[in-house]
Amino acid sequence: MNVIKAKSFTENGLDTRRKFSFGSIGVWTALFLLIGAPVLCFLTLGVSPRLFQQGPEWFTLKYVHEAFQGFAGRAIFNSLWVATVVSIFAVSIATSMAWVIHRTNIGARRFWAVAMWLLLLLPTWMMTLGWTDLLQPVGGLQALGINCSYIYHEFFGPLGIVVVLTTAALPFSYFIITAGLQGLGPEFEDAARIHGANKIQTFKTVLPIISPAILSAIAVSFAETISDFGVADTLGYHAHFPLATFILFKAISSYPANFSVAAVVAAVLILSIVPPITLQSRVMRKNTFAVLSGRTRTPRVREFRKGPRVLATTIVATVFVVAIGVPVLGAVMTSFISGQSFYGGHLHLTLLYYREIFNPPSAGKSLGTPLLLSDQLGFVVASCTGAFAVVMARRLVTKVGGLSQRITDIFLLGSIAIPGVVLAIGYIFFYNLSFITHHVINLYETLPLLIIALIASSLPGQTRFMAGPVSQIQPSLSEAARVHGAGRFTAWRTTNLPLMSRVLLWGWLLTFTKTISELAIATILFPPSQEPASVTIQNYLANFNTGAGTAMTVMTLLEMLGIIVIALGIYRLVTPRGWRRIGWRGIQS
Amino acid sequence: MKLTTLKLNGLRKKTIAVSAALAVASLSLVSLTAGAASNPGFVLYSAQGYDQQAVDAFNATHPGFTVTLKDDSTGPLLTDVQAEGNNPKWGALWVDGAIPFAHLDQIGMLVKNSAPKVAFNTLGKANLPADGSFSPTGVTETGVLCYDTAQVSASNLPSKWTDLLTTQYALGMNDPSVSGPTFPLIAGVFSKLSNLPFNATTAQVKAAITKGEAFYQNIAQKTQGGLVVNPTNGVTLGAMQNQAVGMATIQGSACYSKTLGSYKTLGEKYLDASMELPGVIGIDAKMPAIVRADAAKFVAWLYTPAGQLAMRTGDPTGDSLFWPVVGSTLANPIIPNITTTHPYAINPYTWAPYETQINNWFDSNFVG
Repeated sequence: MNVIKAKSFTENGLDTRRKFSFGSIGVWTALFLLIGAPVLCFLTLGVSPRLFQQGPEWFTLKYVHEAFQGFAGRAIFNSLWVATVVSIFAVSIATSMAWVIHRTNIGARRFWAVAMWLLLLLPTWMMTLGWTDLLQPVGGLQALGINCSYIYHEFFGPLGIVVVLTTAALPFSYFIITAGLQGLGPEFEDAARIHGANKIQTFKTVLPIISPAILSAIAVSFAETISDFGVADTLGYHAHFPLATFILFKAISSYPANFSVAAVVAAVLILSIVPPITLQSRVMRKNTFAVLSGRTRTPRVREFRKGPRVLATTIVATVFVVAIGVPVLGAVMTSFISGQSFYGGHLHLTLLYYREIFNPPSAGKSLGTPLLLSDQLGFVVASCTGAFAVVMARRLVTKVGGLSQRITDIFLLGSIAIPGVVLAIGYIFFYNLSFITHHVINLYETLPLLIIALIASSLPGQTRFMAGPVSQIQPSLSEAARVHGAGRFTAWRTTNLPLMSRVLLWGWLLTFTKTISELAIATILFPPSQEPASVTIQNYLANFNTGAGTAMTVMTLLEMLGIIVIALGIYRLVTPRGWRRIGWRGIQS
Repeated sequence: MKLTTLKLNGLRKKTIAVSAALAVASLSLVSLTAGAASNPGFVLYSAQGYDQQAVDAFNATHPGFTVTLKDDSTGPLLTDVQAEGNNPKWGALWVDGAIPFAHLDQIGMLVKNSAPKVAFNTLGKANLPADGSFSPTGVTETGVLCYDTAQVSASNLPSKWTDLLTTQYALGMNDPSVSGPTFPLIAGVFSKLSNLPFNATTAQVKAAITKGEAFYQNIAQKTQGGLVVNPTNGVTLGAMQNQAVGMATIQGSACYSKTLGSYKTLGEKYLDASMELPGVIGIDAKMPAIVRADAAKFVAWLYTPAGQLAMRTGDPTGDSLFWPVVGSTLANPIIPNITTTHPYAINPYTWAPYETQINNWFDSNFVG
C-alpha cells in the first residue's frame, strides 16, 4: 500500500503540492499562450498603439476617452443593462424549468431536456436569422398571407434583443442549475419538512445548496450575453440600439481600423464580469457544497394533478416554441419558399436552394468541403478542450487553491466575456509578431492556430460547465482508491470518470457544435483556401443569397443533430451500463 | 460468458477502433505545412467574386508556383492586412476601391511601379496612380440609384444628386464604416456637389466636406426616416425587398445581379454622377523578391485574354459585371455603355486621409 503524506491532501482530496508543481506551471503557461498573451497584446493597444505599429503614441489615454463618448459610450451602457436584465431573466426561467422538468411529472420531460440541448446548439446569428426570416414584411408569414408588421417593428428593438439573448443564455443557466439540482437528493427536503417547515420554508432551506449553481449561471449568462456579437450586428444595428460588441467590431473592421478604441471597449466588457465573479467566489468559499457521491439517491418526483400538469407542460412548451420553434420554423420555411412567392401572390415551394448547397451557381461555393473541415475542427477542438477543461475544473473547485485559484477563477470567467473577434485579432498581434514567427514558431494562417484559438474560446465556458458536477463529487471516492493503492490517474479513472462520463460526453458535444457554428474567430483566422462552413454560410447570407444561405444553415443544424445521435450511440455501446446510472445526466427523465 | 455479452464486447472494440481512427484522421489537421519550397508562391487576399476562377485558371497554366487564395469580404481582409502590420502574409491584395490602396501606398506597403505595361484604355488610365503602386483590373460604379418598382414610380425618381433633397421617397444607403464601396460614394458625392478638381487643395476638400455633410443631413431630416442606413449592399437590398425603403444608392453590380436573379421588381438608374469604383490589385512591398515577382506575374496575367475571360465569366451575376480597363475587351452586354452612366472619378490620395473623420461623422448622425 502506498504511504500518503498526511499534509499532502486536503479534505476534498486534492493535492496541495500541486500549487507548486510543474503541472501548475504547465497549466498557467498553456492559459497564457491560449488566452493571456493574445488578449493582453490586444488590450495594450488601448493605451500604447505604437507598440504594435498602430499609431504614433507610446502611451496615451485619448482612446479611453474616445471609447466613452457619444455613440460608443451609449453602446457600452446598453450592453451593461441588457446583460444584467438578460442574466436575471435567463436564470429565473432556467431555475423554474430545471425544477419543473427534473422534479415533477410534467408531460414529455425527456423531450424538453433534448429540446434544451437543441437550444444550446443554436448560435444567436442563426436565431436572429430565423426570427427575421419569419417576421420580415417579405418573410415566411407574409408568404402564408399573415400580416405581422406590428410584431416585426416591435421585435426589431430592445425587446427582440432581450428575447433572443435570453433564449440564448437560457440553456447555459439551465444546465448549470440542473447539475446543481442533481446533488439535491430528497433527504434535504425531508429533513426540512420533518422539522416542521412548510413548502416555502423548505424551498428557502434547500435553495442555498444550489446557490453556487445559481450564481455560476448568473455570471456565465452575463458574460455570454455581454460578449455576444450575432444579435448586436443584426437586431441591434437595425433598431439603432448600439451594443458594445458592435462598436468594437466597427472599430476593427473600418478602414483605417481603430484597434485602440476596440481594445478599450474590450477591456470594459472583460472588467464588467468582475462583480458577478466576486459574488460567486465569496459564496463558494464560505460553504461546502459537496453533496454528490456514488450513493446519492435519485431525486423524488413531485406528482402534479391533471390540471396543473397540463398547465405546466403548456408553459414549458410555450417557452420552447418561442426559443426554438420560431427561429427554426423561419429558417426552414425560407429555405423552401421560392423568392417568387413574394411577388406573385402564390406560395411557391422549391428545392432549388438545397440543390445549390452541393451544386452551387458558378461563383458560389459548395458546402461539402467546408462542412467536412468544420467537422474535423470540431472533433479536435472538442477533444482537446474537454481534456483541458477537466483539469481546469478541478483547479477551480478546490477549497485550498488560495490566490492561484482565485486568479484562475477570475481569469476563466473574465475570458467568457471576451468577444471572439477580440481573441482572433489578439492572435494575429501575438502569433504574428516578427520574433515569434521567425524565432519560435510560425503558426499564423495555419489550421493549428485556428484550432488553438477555438480551444481558447471554448475552454472558459467548458470549464464552467464542468465545474458544477466536479464540485459535487465527494473526495472520499478518490481517497478510498488512493488508500487501496491506486495512482492518481487510476484513482480518477475508476472513481471520478464513471461519475463524469456523461458530463464529458455532453461537454464534448457542446464544444463540437459550437465550433461548427463559430463565426467571429473563423472569419479572421481561417487559413487561405481552408474555409470553415460558418464562413461559407455567412458569405451567402451577406451577399443577398438568403435562400441558399438559409438552406445551408438548416443542413448544418441537421448535420449537428446527426453527430449528436451518433455520439450518444457510441457512448451507449462503449461504456459499462453502470456508468449510465450514476453521476451527472445531460438528459434525464 | 453469454454469447450476447461476447458480441457486445466485440462491437465495443470495433466502435472504439473506428472512433480512434476518426480521431487520428482529424488530428492530421494539426500538421503544419512543409518547409519553404524553392518558390513558395504567394497568398492572394481577395474579395472579388471571380477570384477562385481566376486563380484556378492561372495555377492550371503556370506550374512554376502556386497562388493560394484567401477569399473573404473586403472588411475582414483589410482588418487582417492592418493587424499583420509589418509582418504581412499577403503577397497581393485584390479588392474594390482605390482608397485603401492609396493609404497602403502612403505607408510604404505597396511595390511602386508594379502596374503591368499593358494597353490601358481611358477608364484604366483614369484609375491608374502616377507611381503605379496598384493596378485597376476593372471598373464598377457605386452611387447607382437602385429602386423597387413595386414601391416607387420610375417616372418620379430623381435624375440628379441634388434632386434627392426634394424627392418624396426615402433614400437607402450602406454604412461607410462597414461597406467598402460606400466611402468612395460619399467622397464622390461631396466632390460632385462642390465640383472639386481631381487634385483639390486641402481647403477645397474641407469646404466640400462641410457642404456634403449638410446635404446628407438635409436628406435625413427631410422626412422621418429620410435616410435608411444598412450595413452592406446585400442588407440594403434585403431592406428594399422588405419595403423598408424603396430606393437606395449602392454599387451598381449588386443591383444588376439582382435583376438577373429572383428580385424581379428591381431597377437601376444613373444620376448625374456615378462614382467609379475600380477593382484594384496591389503587391506587398514587405515580401521577399521572389514572392513579389510571382505576384507580378499573376497581376500581368489578369490583363491577358485568359485572365479577362476568367474575370468576365467567373461571377456572371455579380462582380463579373464590370467595365474592362484594357484595350478592346468588351464588357458584359447586360451593363450599359459606361459613357451613358456619367462616370465620375475621385482622387483616392485626396480622400484617404478623411475616411476616419467622415465615417465617424456618419455613424454619429445616421447609425446610432
